[in-house]
Amino acid sequence: MRRPLSFLIPLLALAAAALLPLVSGPYPLAVARSVLTYMALAISWDMLLRSGQISFGIAGFFGLGAYAAALSVLRGGMSPILSILFAGVFAGAVALILGLVILRLRAVYFSITTLALAEIFRVIIQNWSDFTGGPEGLVLPKLIFNGESKSLYWLVLAAVVIACAASTMFEKSRIRLALSAIRNNEQSAAASGIGIFKYLLVAFVVSSFIQGIVGGIQLQGYGFASPDAVFDSNYTLLPLAMALLGGIHGTPGPVIGALLLGIAAEFLKLHIPYGHLVVYGIIIVLVILFMPQGLYGLLRSRRHAVAPVAENRVDAGAWGK
Amino acid sequence: MAVKRSTILWAAVVAAAVVLILLWKPTVLVYGVQRAGLYAAVAIPMALVLGIVHIVNLAHGELMMVAAYLAYFVANRLLGLDPFVAMVPVALVMAAFGWLIYKATIKHALKAPELNQLILTFGLAIAFSQIANLAFTSQSFKLSLSYVSASATIGDVSFGVFDFVYVAVAVLLAVGLRLFLQRTRMGKAALAVGQNPRGAAIVGINVDRTYGIIFSIAVGLMGIVGSLFLTKQAIFPGVGGPYTMKSFCLVAMAGVGNIVGVLYCSLALGLSEAVINGIRGYAGWSNIVFFAIIIATILVRSYRERKR
Amino acid sequence: MAISETSLKDVLLFTFDEINKAGGVLGKQLQLIIVDDEGKGDKGVAAIEKLATVDKVDVLIGGIASGVALAQVPTMKKYQIVTVATGAAASTTVEKALGPSPDSDWYFHLHPWDYNQGQSYADGWDAIQKKYPAIKINRIFLAYEEGAFGKSSFDASKAIFGTRYQFDGASFKSALQGGSDYSAVLEAAKEFKPDLFLWAGYAQDALPLLEQSKAMKFSPPVYLGAPPAWPADMSKSPLAENVMLYGMWAQSINDISAASKKFYDAYVKAVGTAPTSYFAALSYSAVYIVADGIKRAGGTDKAKLIAALEATKYASPLGETITFSPSNIIKHQGIRNQKILQWQNGRQEVIWPFEVQSKPIVYPFPAW
Repeated sequence: MRRPLSFLIPLLALAAAALLPLVSGPYPLAVARSVLTYMALAISWDMLLRSGQISFGIAGFFGLGAYAAALSVLRGGMSPILSILFAGVFAGAVALILGLVILRLRAVYFSITTLALAEIFRVIIQNWSDFTGGPEGLVLPKLIFNGESKSLYWLVLAAVVIACAASTMFEKSRIRLALSAIRNNEQSAAASGIGIFKYLLVAFVVSSFIQGIVGGIQLQGYGFASPDAVFDSNYTLLPLAMALLGGIHGTPGPVIGALLLGIAAEFLKLHIPYGHLVVYGIIIVLVILFMPQGLYGLLRSRRHAVAPVAENRVDAGAWGK
Repeated sequence: MAVKRSTILWAAVVAAAVVLILLWKPTVLVYGVQRAGLYAAVAIPMALVLGIVHIVNLAHGELMMVAAYLAYFVANRLLGLDPFVAMVPVALVMAAFGWLIYKATIKHALKAPELNQLILTFGLAIAFSQIANLAFTSQSFKLSLSYVSASATIGDVSFGVFDFVYVAVAVLLAVGLRLFLQRTRMGKAALAVGQNPRGAAIVGINVDRTYGIIFSIAVGLMGIVGSLFLTKQAIFPGVGGPYTMKSFCLVAMAGVGNIVGVLYCSLALGLSEAVINGIRGYAGWSNIVFFAIIIATILVRSYRERKR
Repeated sequence: MAISETSLKDVLLFTFDEINKAGGVLGKQLQLIIVDDEGKGDKGVAAIEKLATVDKVDVLIGGIASGVALAQVPTMKKYQIVTVATGAAASTTVEKALGPSPDSDWYFHLHPWDYNQGQSYADGWDAIQKKYPAIKINRIFLAYEEGAFGKSSFDASKAIFGTRYQFDGASFKSALQGGSDYSAVLEAAKEFKPDLFLWAGYAQDALPLLEQSKAMKFSPPVYLGAPPAWPADMSKSPLAENVMLYGMWAQSINDISAASKKFYDAYVKAVGTAPTSYFAALSYSAVYIVADGIKRAGGTDKAKLIAALEATKYASPLGETITFSPSNIIKHQGIRNQKILQWQNGRQEVIWPFEVQSKPIVYPFPAW
């Protein structure tokens, strides 16, 4: 009974998401674009997290993608769609080179290194004015699809589908075993002959590739990039919060979390015009306190008597060591 | 022997750097040290929390912001206290506030993975800065204190000397905390809890209470740091954010639990930033130095540890 | 309208209130819908989409940050709702993105573009040097914050001053971005020995810069700041005395302009403190320009409203009458001039333009 259901729900959700533009106006679509952007980032971040590596570099690869797309169009004359692909490949390539060195770091040291790298990307782009436009940023002559709301929405949705597909592939394949082996106990993983580093690198490159693509789409959808706008720390912290609120180590969690937090943010803004961000912060605190495994974790633990707490808890306290 | 040789090597490198800077632009040394003092003073309480309670507090800078607003609106505007006097009551109020935060939130997330703690404090950070925004708007406030322009002149070079206060405070905090952790019963207990909470509980130490006290002390210290920050800097709701990140980087660079190390790391970063800043036309690149040095330190250390 | 600054929200609220209490426009009450853009591009775009398609507003007012404005321009172009913009000075990005007439005729830009400001400063200093022979300016140093605002100020100033003056500049990290130390930029400035020292940063930098200048004994004859706002307690600092500034409005204009007095009184009554930024007066003006335009157009029909706004002649609290005329690219540019002001006894006094001068200039800037 479970199998068809687990196929059916994502398919229905995808169909609903794909048909949304037919029933809704441009404003909900603009909000949805922003929610989907964060959703793709959250999923990609979670893919690496399954190995226990907590990246703080989402904004870095996102921003890199945005600039790669902008510069390939403005300086290289690339077509918009191709530039988005180029953004992903560029971010992935950078991740590949950096990953060879930094993926050997663990826990807080890996996190801080990714954070520092994101900042370094920003500073280089901000100061290399002749090529990158400097702090004032770059403006595209026109938006992709001429800025038509529905097409823009479908474009971002495509990124989410790619992220979900990659994430599901990770879950269903050997990679899943390798990554959770790394997370749980590296020594035994190495002893059992899994070439762990290779899988770690694959996860890092694929998640960075997705972040680069999302950055490229953002650039093409808004037509403008500046260091402050695309390397904004919110692009790191919000996906983290969303994945956690939804439930980590799987595809459904980040999807649910992004929907919840993204829609809550806009809803709060409409109903509490002054102070909506205070409530937003408090919601994050409350959810962490009362739903520590995230919404999806809560659902799962309700359904099965055995809560997957242990799975989530293996690395508790690792930062202190 | 090996340790000693590397110490001598380091001392030689530092001495050579200092001589070079002195020959080139002596004031860079002054500003580098002053900058380092501020970084270290802000980062040390975070190092304490990370070392013993094992949480990365993303609301760290925001707590400094709250302390500075307290020092400005309550202590200065209402009671007319100079920040140097205000730091005592502000520290006490902040310590109580820290205890409250611990009991109400952090305590309940300690058993969860570190990610939960991270996002929890991120939520607190948003709430704090947005409450300040709501209550006092986004405009900035600044005290005008004549002593912050205190100046010294050597030859034909004049420079500000007030910022050495930050250096003094940073050293006092580091030394004081070290003494507290090594000499007092409470401190020793805290150290034991930090190293092995389960073991500490077995020998009868109240782990929860110890965590609460340490967190409360750290937030109290942010009261002091926040009051001193107010002497020179303008305050606004977002003032703390960048300092959270800087502190986080410094603490990671020093190595978890290494409070005195924060001093050295701040010095290295402050000086190198000041050097790049001092080269005309390249000031914008000084931001990169900070992060490049952090990455280099972390990589070198991890490489060495693996070799061992 | 999309607006992020809390204090500017208050300005819009009381200005709408003022107009509605006086009977509204054409017998109807004006309705204000505020959406917070949170200073983020994507939120700003969603805000425009909402205002255009859900609320179906007739006019958009607001916007300060060029970054948000840039993200919004494509969406605004899609709907072409009549817009009175109070901010966004970056011509190389925002004005270029808007494009030439007639495609950008729905956009009425109140704030001067960066090149307008640069030109008005050049004119101002020419006039001041002519009137006061004791003031000689040959060397200008610009300290600019390293972000978009500072960099565009530097580029625009260099283009205008670089040819006629000895011009140099260096960047610093604004306290708004976590900076705390201005020593490097001040040392460079001190070495340059400028006749005029100008800084382009934020309110957070104003007093720390002065304090550090004093500590370093750097006292140029003209010490001039160009932040978008000043800290609330600037007037309480003794160091502020005789610091000069660029701006559009100051309390001293109350003495010569009834419109300014009316604005000031309403502001103090509603907000409780004096305005710290000329953007308050600008937003107030924007609302009155719109109300007046609707009145003359006999409604909110777009073509009629644009024609009516084109004919605007509004005696603003800024001490000048606002009209619209073409700028380098767009057709409807409002204000072109900034004013040159000076802190004297805790108050900003207008030095130039001389028609609105409230006090003569004090020169040189006192050595500490």
